[in-house]
Amino acid sequence: MRGNGRAEPAGFLLRPPLVLAVLTALVTITSPAAAHHVGSYVPGDNAVTTNFKQVKFSVQAKKYDVALRLFDSGALRAEMHAHAATLPPGLEDGTRAALTAGDGPEVERRLMIFFAALSRDLALEADRQIARPEATVETRVATGRKFLEAIWRYYNLVDFAVATRDNTTSVAVRLAFDEAETYVKPAAGGAAAPDPAGIREPLQRIARALSTLIDASSPSSTTPRRNS
Amino acid sequence: MTEVDSPTWRVPPRWVLLVAVLSIVAAEVGGGSMARFKVELTRWARDGMLARPSVHGLVGVRDVDERILDEALVKFDAGLRLFHMHAEGMGLVIIATTMVAATVIRQDAARRAIIALLTTGGAGYPLGYLVWSALIPSYGLERSKTIAEWLVWVPFGTATIVALWCLVGVVAWRMIKS
Repeated sequence: MRGNGRAEPAGFLLRPPLVLAVLTALVTITSPAAAHHVGSYVPGDNAVTTNFKQVKFSVQAKKYDVALRLFDSGALRAEMHAHAATLPPGLEDGTRAALTAGDGPEVERRLMIFFAALSRDLALEADRQIARPEATVETRVATGRKFLEAIWRYYNLVDFAVATRDNTTSVAVRLAFDEAETYVKPAAGGAAAPDPAGIREPLQRIARALSTLIDASSPSSTTPRRNS
Repeated sequence: MTEVDSPTWRVPPRWVLLVAVLSIVAAEVGGGSMARFKVELTRWARDGMLARPSVHGLVGVRDVDERILDEALVKFDAGLRLFHMHAEGMGLVIIATTMVAATVIRQDAARRAIIALLTTGGAGYPLGYLVWSALIPSYGLERSKTIAEWLVWVPFGTATIVALWCLVGVVAWRMIKS
């Protein structure tokens, strides 16, 4: 026994090569000091997109009673109700009627209109906020980036439905979206610095294209515009 | 037979063991509190973020803000979890490494210095995660991370790494000499 410690027979554990190996492993896994693990974030669906997927998959499986129940009790209908002022009249009731009648394509068309309207409203709000002169360039760029994420999250759900009915609008929205993204991406490797003013024009194009789509596809309109 | 080859371990000083045990106790208390007060903690963090919209880049549109708040709350929770895990693990690392240092380093000054670095570094580093979590509602994700890095992670993490490399060097040197 030595010093302040209690002695124990542990000969093989005290072999320098073993001690060295353990210490080296420890020091290797704790290096470098700056690379702190702080967890990662994977964005998930929100209540509206989750409910949309539930309804969509139920309709695809032709389980209209299930789809109707999910629609009645889910966030999709509540959101349609909340946005009624900016949606084509009768969209909520029409969607419910289509589900009751087991009309899959009509349900898809009405949900497409709904998400196109949500995306359009976000594009208009983004344009309004980015136009504010009192905000700094960084704030406007960050705002633009966040709005683009939100727009894509909704539009992406119905892009296929849009493309099958009106591929001109689908291409126009995607091109405008790609262009808008270039204005809010961090500058790297000689690329141009983020330009919040530049993003406004593609945002307005997105809003215009989606407004046209909504007007052409709204329940009163019966002739879908297909360009191929 | 040299001291290193002697089949005995030397127990590190009592204050070191106390710090290590306290670190493990803090980890357990932290883990338990996380589970017990999950709703209250989340509400506190969310209220703190909503009170500082400009810090978090909230734009006043639910479809946009929802994701920003969600990410911050996930990171807030991750910070608490990482504190729990690191404090638990570093408590054991302190005990193991200081025991090696107490056993293999002959020079008093060097042994004390390395034990002190291993203990303070090991006990302090996990607190960085607690600091990070606590600062997220007030300073946002990136700024709070920077503060925690320079205030806690870098100094305490560096202390641990420097001490571990010194210990590796001492053991390697003893091997070469023998």
